[in-house]
Amino acid sequence: MKNSFDEKILDEAKDWIKANQKVVLATVIQTWGSSPRQVGSRMIVNEKGDFSGSVSGGCVESAVVSECLSLIKDNKPCKKIEFKVSNESAWEVGLACGGEIAVYIEQIH
Amino acid sequence: MKIKTLEEILKKKSSKTEFAILTNLENGDSEIYLPGTSPKGEFSKYAVEIENFFKSKKNGVIENSEIFVETYIKPIKVIIVGAVHIAQYLVDFAKSLNFEISIIDPRGYFASEQRFPDIKVINKWPKEAFEEIETNSSTALIALTHDPKIDDPALQYALKNKFYYIGALGSKKTHENRCQRLAEAGFTNDEINSIHGPIGIKLGGKSAPEIALSIIAQLVSQTYKK
Repeated sequence: MKNSFDEKILDEAKDWIKANQKVVLATVIQTWGSSPRQVGSRMIVNEKGDFSGSVSGGCVESAVVSECLSLIKDNKPCKKIEFKVSNESAWEVGLACGGEIAVYIEQIH
Repeated sequence: MKIKTLEEILKKKSSKTEFAILTNLENGDSEIYLPGTSPKGEFSKYAVEIENFFKSKKNGVIENSEIFVETYIKPIKVIIVGAVHIAQYLVDFAKSLNFEISIIDPRGYFASEQRFPDIKVINKWPKEAFEEIETNSSTALIALTHDPKIDDPALQYALKNKFYYIGALGSKKTHENRCQRLAEAGFTNDEINSIHGPIGIKLGGKSAPEIALSIIAQLVSQTYKK
């Protein structure tokens, strides 16, 4: 459904920042084919790798967490990541559902 | 995103003001945009596209650009008649689904704030209660009292004002009688048939939360058909 005024992820981001944590916001910005979470879905990640919210049905969350951690480590402001259909010949992350998504990650500073 | 922008977003969200977040995916700049105003700075040349996202209630990247638009649109208004047990579960479900609930019940012992914290509860008969609520064809009505004295005037109001979803609790027999009363009151067959009665999709459950789930499922499905 459309963005909800009751959706709590951004409030949680604020709480984490108040607790002196570094926070990266991940947002689904584009989808192709069947993807479990719609454009605008969100997840937050802190420097310890704790996360809340979701950008897929559990398919790419761990990869997004590690990308977010690199963003903090390299002190970069933002990055766009694309996830495609999983490739069986490699142990890479992919969407089991066969969809493709683009996720935008950005530090809140 | 800057902390200042995040704080502004939270403020807009809590005051339920419609807005959009504009993000330049290349450099990470973001702005809050209010519908009907001109987007600032680097976003100004996309004014038409941004407004279109608002109109279509969608989020996405503007074609041939690196600008992401995320819109926050006001929740859909749902009016429940009858501050009964099922209504308490409906309120819980509605919270995570972007529905804004108001409850009408002239019976004071039902319509207490203690039973419905943070919800607009109007302790009046439907006719007077509707004077306090702004409604249109994007409003939904859920009638739960199965008492003709309370439900019927609300159903008539909803039909006249072309609510996109009207549902009424009660058995098949109760609903047949209800339809007959509405026909006698001058409503057409098409209007009467547009009422979802007995309310809800068939799940088989009988408990209050199960009935609430079947109602909210029907409401969501009708919202997407709108």
